[in-house]
Amino acid sequence: MHIPDGFLSAGVAGVTWVVAGAGVASALRAERSDPQPMPAGILGAAAAFVFAAQMINVPVAPGTSGHLVGAALAAVLLGPWRGLIVMTVVLAVQALLFQDGGISAFGANVVDMGVGGVLAGYAGAAIVTRVMPTPRGAVIGGVLGAFAATLVAATLTGLWLGLSGLYPLRGILPIMLVTHTAIGLLEAALTGAILATVVRWRPDLVRGVSSQGRIANPAAVMVGVIAMALVVAGFLSPFASSLPDGLEHAAEQLGFAGRARAMPGAPFPDYVMPFIESAGLATALAGILGTLAAAAVGWLVSRSLGASGRAVHD
Amino acid sequence: MLSTTRRPAVVLGLGLAAIVAAAMSPVGLDGRGVPAWSWIVWLAAFVWALSLSRMAGLRLPDALRRVIWLAPVVAMFTLPAAWLAPAGTRGLVAAGLMARGLAAVSLGTGLATRLGPSGLNLGVRQLGAPQRLADVFEATLVSLTSVLRRAHAMLRAREARRPGFGAWSDIVASPAETVRGFGRLVATLLLRSLERAEAVERARRARGGEA
Repeated sequence: MHIPDGFLSAGVAGVTWVVAGAGVASALRAERSDPQPMPAGILGAAAAFVFAAQMINVPVAPGTSGHLVGAALAAVLLGPWRGLIVMTVVLAVQALLFQDGGISAFGANVVDMGVGGVLAGYAGAAIVTRVMPTPRGAVIGGVLGAFAATLVAATLTGLWLGLSGLYPLRGILPIMLVTHTAIGLLEAALTGAILATVVRWRPDLVRGVSSQGRIANPAAVMVGVIAMALVVAGFLSPFASSLPDGLEHAAEQLGFAGRARAMPGAPFPDYVMPFIESAGLATALAGILGTLAAAAVGWLVSRSLGASGRAVHD
Repeated sequence: MLSTTRRPAVVLGLGLAAIVAAAMSPVGLDGRGVPAWSWIVWLAAFVWALSLSRMAGLRLPDALRRVIWLAPVVAMFTLPAAWLAPAGTRGLVAAGLMARGLAAVSLGTGLATRLGPSGLNLGVRQLGAPQRLADVFEATLVSLTSVLRRAHAMLRAREARRPGFGAWSDIVASPAETVRGFGRLVATLLLRSLERAEAVERARRARGGEA
């Protein structure tokens, strides 16, 4: 999934570098305020381990092999922010020393496997361990998080290649999603196998997710869940069925479908962005903006409920 | 650690800028053909890459071999994109994409060979990377050799215990055994790596190092 040099446009490379820089800066700031500091030597050893684990190929079938990426594993073992720092360093070592991933494409690779992969992996693991605060919950969370991380990273990779004009978006995204579904299953299985052994021998090493049923980094979970929601809303919605749903079908059968009216001033009537010619892009953008708007409203509502709850108890 | 050049930040900074320049040169995907200056930029990048490798003491065939092994990866991205280019331009676009990709990766190879891990570490720090990130980068480079050696030794030991079968079976043929074996080996590698790092950290603090 490492994008080499020469396959991203200047605009896409620039934007992804900015997003990656912001993500890494946030991770460094959040990590600084962690009450339990971790020496750079330990993080460096963890990064070297992830690098080595990526080099161990597992035969999938004759002539084909796969390998672990480790974003979700890093998130479960180290937490989202240290996991992001570790993945960034791994990608930097790979790009600088081994040319596995380009320099101009480094920002995109960090966004895909670092920001997207680690935070989506952490979100999956944290939500599961919130419900199952046991070692088994950490393993199951890691498995689900690894699968989600692979799909988020693959979607973002396809997005950058499509926006760079290399491949049409409608072609590259389904191919990336289909191929990486199988790769995601492999990543999930390998991550689960590693975590199952680690929680049996050294459960104290699983520091990324809480064993007390609470989410220690809600901001990271929020970003991870939004990334997963955007993957679905933005990149699966254009491929949704165009057949009418139950109410629309009943309205057509009973003859009152023509009485439906769009709300005046609705920004995205029928889930389509106005003034965009491409139908797929119009639906995708409407899905992305709608998801972000729903997330923003939900956040505002939860903040106001939290404030009023505190006022009642004060 | 000793660096192999007196000004690693200058070499690294110029090298990274040249890689970006090579990677951004137009390649004809818009149907307007590959401009002549793109070919000049890619050729210059390739020549500089070979000279960097020669300055590091590498023979020319070895320097070329380090670039050629990356060609299949570049081709994997290049060929489908060239196939989708406008008819009549596919050959030129394919050549341009391959040249662009190989120019950029060869320059990266030359930089890494000339600077080495210590030069890269010093260059990254002098170019203003955040200190925490630079510290973790340096610690990773320090740990990398020992972790990779340990991984190879563990894989060889596993192969020795499974004569004629290799380290792993196919996941398709033996999914549970393969995944379980991989999980135990990699988990053991993780525990040994972290425990060694913790022991090194305790020894460093015992000798008066800062927390």
